Amino acid sequence: MAVKLAVEDVGKDYLIPVIDRVSFTVEAGEFLCLLGPNGCGKTTLLRILGGIEPATRGRVLLDGETIVAEQSHQRKVGVVFQEDRLLPWLTLRENVALVLKPLGVAPAGRRRRADEFLALAGLRGFEDYHPGRVSGGMRQRAAIARALAIEPDVLLMDEPFGALDAQNRRIMQQEVRRIWQETGRTIVFVTHAIEEAVAIGTTLVMLSARPARIRELIRNDGRVARTTLVDDLNTMIMEEVERQQGARAR
Amino acid sequence: MTLRESAGRLHLATLALAVLVVLVWSMLSARYGAYVLPSPRAVVRGLVSIVASGEIWKHTAASLFRIVIGFGAAVVMALLLGLGAFLSRTVRGVVHDVVAVLNATSVFVWIVVSIIWFGLSEWAPIFTTFMITLPVVAANIVQGVESVDRRLLEMGDVYRLGGGEKFVSIVIPSTLPYLVAGMKVGFGLALKVSVVAEIFGVTSGIGYIMNYSREILETQMVFAWAVVMILVMIAADTLVFDGISRRLARWR
Repeated sequence: MAVKLAVEDVGKDYLIPVIDRVSFTVEAGEFLCLLGPNGCGKTTLLRILGGIEPATRGRVLLDGETIVAEQSHQRKVGVVFQEDRLLPWLTLRENVALVLKPLGVAPAGRRRRADEFLALAGLRGFEDYHPGRVSGGMRQRAAIARALAIEPDVLLMDEPFGALDAQNRRIMQQEVRRIWQETGRTIVFVTHAIEEAVAIGTTLVMLSARPARIRELIRNDGRVARTTLVDDLNTMIMEEVERQQGARAR
Repeated sequence: MTLRESAGRLHLATLALAVLVVLVWSMLSARYGAYVLPSPRAVVRGLVSIVASGEIWKHTAASLFRIVIGFGAAVVMALLLGLGAFLSRTVRGVVHDVVAVLNATSVFVWIVVSIIWFGLSEWAPIFTTFMITLPVVAANIVQGVESVDRRLLEMGDVYRLGGGEKFVSIVIPSTLPYLVAGMKVGFGLALKVSVVAEIFGVTSGIGYIMNYSREILETQMVFAWAVVMILVMIAADTLVFDGISRRLARWR
């Protein structure tokens, strides 16, 4: 399989180093989950992958092209944030259609494609609703539809179901898995929920406590039983949490 | 509609209070005489007479014309300042300071200064209205611009919306409710301020005619015109601004 996304020695410092040095590759069609203790720099790493923030060191290659902040590269990156970030004054259809404008799609085409991807995300019949009139889960579906509508080279998701209740969360996990299978998109998914990662990811990357390094990279191909994997990852994450707290105490 | 609902709609308690006020007013009027406090009946008669003669439209129109020019110019200016505040942090700081100074300036300063500058003309009330409403509307617009959700703008960057597209799709819709709120307050202020400025130098308008009525000892007409002013204010609020607010809130 071809390498889609290559992360090479990426690091980020704010006042303190947040990401030490991280390298991994994501193959086309892979569903990679980034795991780690809270505050370890998962979101920062995802923002670097999306070209939202520049890295202090290293580089990110998407299809061989360097991703830089301010989105001046030619590759298309779809992002689903922790919050839906839909424009509340636009309908769901208008929200999706809006991001097709910069791609030069004609108005009729925008509308058709918006409806198509809203349907893919399970929102057929809700195209004319405003975000405030639908549930949180449906808003995240619309955000996913928006990210997919630009036909992204890679889809980045930053704890997209963090604000949902347990039941909706499980439903949305299955939905994302289904959408991934139907579209064959490459996905990088940030979460701190281990069960979630094991349930949907094909590759799991466990980051260490801050400053983040890769603690473990696991192929979730069924060779290790899921329950064992969840237990192992839980042990790992607790170790990292302790290390982070220890570092703070010192 | 149930009885309770219709009672709520008519604000029965308020009506009761109004009846009480009118009663006390009549008694005080009888005690102190028509010059100090004309009777409610005399005021109503005065109102009927200016409606019948058409005088009501002449002076209301003159006042509204000045307000629309002065207040309209203030809104346009405030929009430009808001745009500047959106584009530049420096401009935003300057606008903040200018608004603070203008807000601290008395109405009377502008009335006197505008008479010195423009003489006894239409421009005195127009300029006064402009200077008094500008800081109110500008402060609201700048606050609206500042409250634009950065996360939505970041989403716009991720999906590569251009600057113009972000402005039209994100900044304007976020700021509109603040603009309307500012305009509502600003218009009320404009009406109150411009009539004061009309005391000097013009020969039409509600402020002028109120002052004139006082001079010719027709106190009941002072009250009648005060009622006209209140009605204009309420009409503008309910017909114009509430309608716009409701339209804007459609998606909520």
